[in-house]
Amino acid sequence: MRLLFLVLVLLGGCETVQPWERGTLARPEMQLDSDPLETTLMEQVYESKEAASGGNGAAGAGCGCN
Amino acid sequence: MKHKSSTVAALTGAAMSLPAFAATQPAESTISVSLSQYHEADIPSDKVVVGSNERYDIEVGKFKLVTPIGADWSLTVDTTRETMSGASPWGTLYGTTGEPNLIMSGATISESRTSLAISSTRYTDKASYTLGVSKSEENDYKATSYQVSGEWDREDKLSTFALAFSYSSDELSPTDAVLYGRVPEANQRSRSISGSWTQVLNKNAVLQSGISLTKKDGYLSDPYKLLDVRPDEKTQWAVSLRYRHFYDNRNAALHLDYRYYDDDWGIDSHTIDLSWHQNLGVRFQLVPRIRIYSQAEASFFEAADDYSLPRDQPQSSDYRLSGYGALSVGLKAIYKLPAWTVSLSVDQYRSDERFGHNKSQYEHPALLDFTLTNLGLEYRF
Repeated sequence: MRLLFLVLVLLGGCETVQPWERGTLARPEMQLDSDPLETTLMEQVYESKEAASGGNGAAGAGCGCN
Repeated sequence: MKHKSSTVAALTGAAMSLPAFAATQPAESTISVSLSQYHEADIPSDKVVVGSNERYDIEVGKFKLVTPIGADWSLTVDTTRETMSGASPWGTLYGTTGEPNLIMSGATISESRTSLAISSTRYTDKASYTLGVSKSEENDYKATSYQVSGEWDREDKLSTFALAFSYSSDELSPTDAVLYGRVPEANQRSRSISGSWTQVLNKNAVLQSGISLTKKDGYLSDPYKLLDVRPDEKTQWAVSLRYRHFYDNRNAALHLDYRYYDDDWGIDSHTIDLSWHQNLGVRFQLVPRIRIYSQAEASFFEAADDYSLPRDQPQSSDYRLSGYGALSVGLKAIYKLPAWTVSLSVDQYRSDERFGHNKSQYEHPALLDFTLTNLGLEYRF
């Protein structure tokens, strides 16, 4: 519930951003996933060593990792 | 100076044509490769009753190609090759001090895993649609997964809705099944649906909120444990927030991610990822990062294997189902040239019962500490 409230507060503060103002948003370090190859590695490590997984889009093939 | 102006103009021009954060057809092809070394710290020898105290070392090689095809399509090919060696926990029993100790495998485990994922995406003015298939193969585990996903932009291209489905079918065939009384063959299935909403907040900030639901069924126990009986169904869900903010005065970007996870095995968890992407000049970037993780134990978790319980009653002493927390700190250095990017990162992970929000009665002797070193190379053409 607190999470939903936080999202609504943040979304409530949205501004209109003109196309010519989107240069900063297009920077590599501003992408949601700035290094996809590294992200798949980290996600596989954490998913095979911890109980939690998911939350970041479609899952790929699993492994029998111990 | 001219080069810098043209770079800025190109960047701004590209941004003007971009939807908010939807997948857009890549303007160029990219080949990425990485080599990683994963090293788990030894378990203190006084915690091991039988077997080796040396845990896993894994070497990982990754290759990824992303290339545009025609005016509306792209193709992504992703392969991984891993080689693993070391020992893993087989069971847990109470020692003379009354605290759980470990039965470990010998240090002779040596195996490898190969995976291949191929996906293709079609782009329209306000949407993209992706179909993908992936396979992962080990000598004792085979998995095949299918993914379908889509992304849709709103008219103002400041927000994007994404939806993804995946289905995975896994086959287990544990080694030495007859010798150790393991299940000789088993199957499990996984179905997942996830959705996200990405919103540009202002010219320097973007927020993505996501939710996912996964159902698994089949043989979900660990066949290599001496005694591990898990329910044959599991439903899990997660909500996540990902926030990006660029600070002009610092020439740096803040990444803040949070995930809440819950499942019907009684486990809930919190994960916070925080990183600071500091530009140093035009070509160099340093990224210090920290990850905080905490999970509660499964409802059927036992500190030590209990052979007095009926064999069909769920129980597991796997440390991954115990209540604990983990702290990971890392540093990544990135060097960028017009066509090349080189990166080197080191992350140190330490888990501890005291870091957990709902810790187990005893600290599990197999809680994990590891070091992950990653060298990455990207070429754009």
